[in-house]
Amino acid sequence: MSIVDLTSMAEAQAELRKEINARLAKLQNESSEYCFQCAKCTAGCEAHKLLELEPHKIVALLKRGLIDEMVNSDVIWTCMSCFKCWERCPQKVAPVEILNALKNMAVASGKQIPGKYTAMLQSVLSICLIQDVQEVTTHEGKTMKRDTLGLPPLSKPTDASKFQMVLTKLAVEKI
Amino acid sequence: MKKYALYPGCLMPTEQYAYELSLREVFPLLDVELVDVDGFSCCGEPLKSINKMMTLYLAARNLAIGEKQGLDLFVPCPMCHFSLSECKHVLKSNKEMRDKINSMLASEDLTYKGTAGLVHTVDLLHDIIGVEEIKNRVKNPLKDLKLATHYGCHLLRPSEIGRPVDSENPQKMEAVLDALGAKCSFYPEKLDCCGAPIDANLPESALTKTGQKLQAIQDHGFDAIVDVCPWCHKMFDSRQSKAGETVAAKLDIPVLYLTQWLGLALGVKKEKLGLHLNSSPVDKLELK
Ligand code: SF4
Ligand code: SF4
Repeated sequence: MSIVDLTSMAEAQAELRKEINARLAKLQNESSEYCFQCAKCTAGCEAHKLLELEPHKIVALLKRGLIDEMVNSDVIWTCMSCFKCWERCPQKVAPVEILNALKNMAVASGKQIPGKYTAMLQSVLSICLIQDVQEVTTHEGKTMKRDTLGLPPLSKPTDASKFQMVLTKLAVEKI
Repeated sequence: MKKYALYPGCLMPTEQYAYELSLREVFPLLDVELVDVDGFSCCGEPLKSINKMMTLYLAARNLAIGEKQGLDLFVPCPMCHFSLSECKHVLKSNKEMRDKINSMLASEDLTYKGTAGLVHTVDLLHDIIGVEEIKNRVKNPLKDLKLATHYGCHLLRPSEIGRPVDSENPQKMEAVLDALGAKCSFYPEKLDCCGAPIDANLPESALTKTGQKLQAIQDHGFDAIVDVCPWCHKMFDSRQSKAGETVAAKLDIPVLYLTQWLGLALGVKKEKLGLHLNSSPVDKLELK
């Protein structure tokens, strides 16, 4: 069943729609209200052919206030952040930012975060980077790391505990 | 001598060493000093799907560290460059958000003012150092090579937040490569995504994207690929054989960072440019 089928049974959520539009305004993005459904965003969408994402429908559903269905759907996690939809929209709507808002809402509502995102977040919370120094292999089969390649030590926050404190607080903040 | 604080991000300094080795090698040869600064963290971009407030905070934090040094930031990763550019764009006109972020930055004695400029590899080479200057320094021209450029989505779009290259017809890499003696030509998939952004949650689809683009480039008859993003390079180079398996194609195309090509043309030894770390078949180019 597609999101559109699901939403035909749905109740509109005016409050959530307002929340997303307020967020878009804070981020200097144009309101979804200006969308006139030309589907230029979908025409160039990198996730369209492969994963059936249709950004113009995402915007249409937002305009109708059908938010929960999108928040609960896996399709919002198929966006490749190519920014073609934002660049090319004749009305300056940024569907990619609507998708980010929906993903943020899904996370905030306690839905399971897909894939490696949780691991990346935990890594940033503990070592301030998405991953620690990795080993690589040269063409001659030698194992190397930053130091053996002659690269200087990683740049890192001088007081990790202060960094972590703010970030932990931020984890529950909204735009 | 121009001077920049090097903002490394996460992916380049923890595994994409060829990019870091080559840029540390070539920029001093072009009279650009890169200063290592302590205190940086992730740029926030990889966490945007989870919590964009966190992304903005992390970006502002890194910008504030650069400002403290009184230096503009050289940001070789397009993802990081995007995150920092977007943060500047948002905080410029949203005072409320700026105040909120500054109140949190205070715990680390930092303040975001928005004064630090940003450059990426491509505009540093093309706009600041300049194509003529580069041309004058070439020792080994890259002869008889037909190269496909890949800029990467985060470098190209959206122009609204300020990007270093044109969103629909980027030509700065072409101009630099032309100065190095190589030939680039247009191909229809030039602006397409490498697949990396969904590698975190949909790895098969990500590799399909990677494989499709590599196959198209190979079919067009290019000798090799030029990229400027550690994320794209990870897909095109480090994971090329996996991408080939995913799309059931024999992929066999060398992929080098722009800074590696530049180093070769400037006469730097291959090892110093990290060429022994590329996983794609760079040996078949028989580079000196
Ligand atoms: S391109 Fe813009 S106006 Fe057209 S459908 Fe997409 S969001 Fe709406
Ligand atoms: S940013 Fe996402 S929604 Fe927009 S065109 Fe790219 S893949 Fe599609």
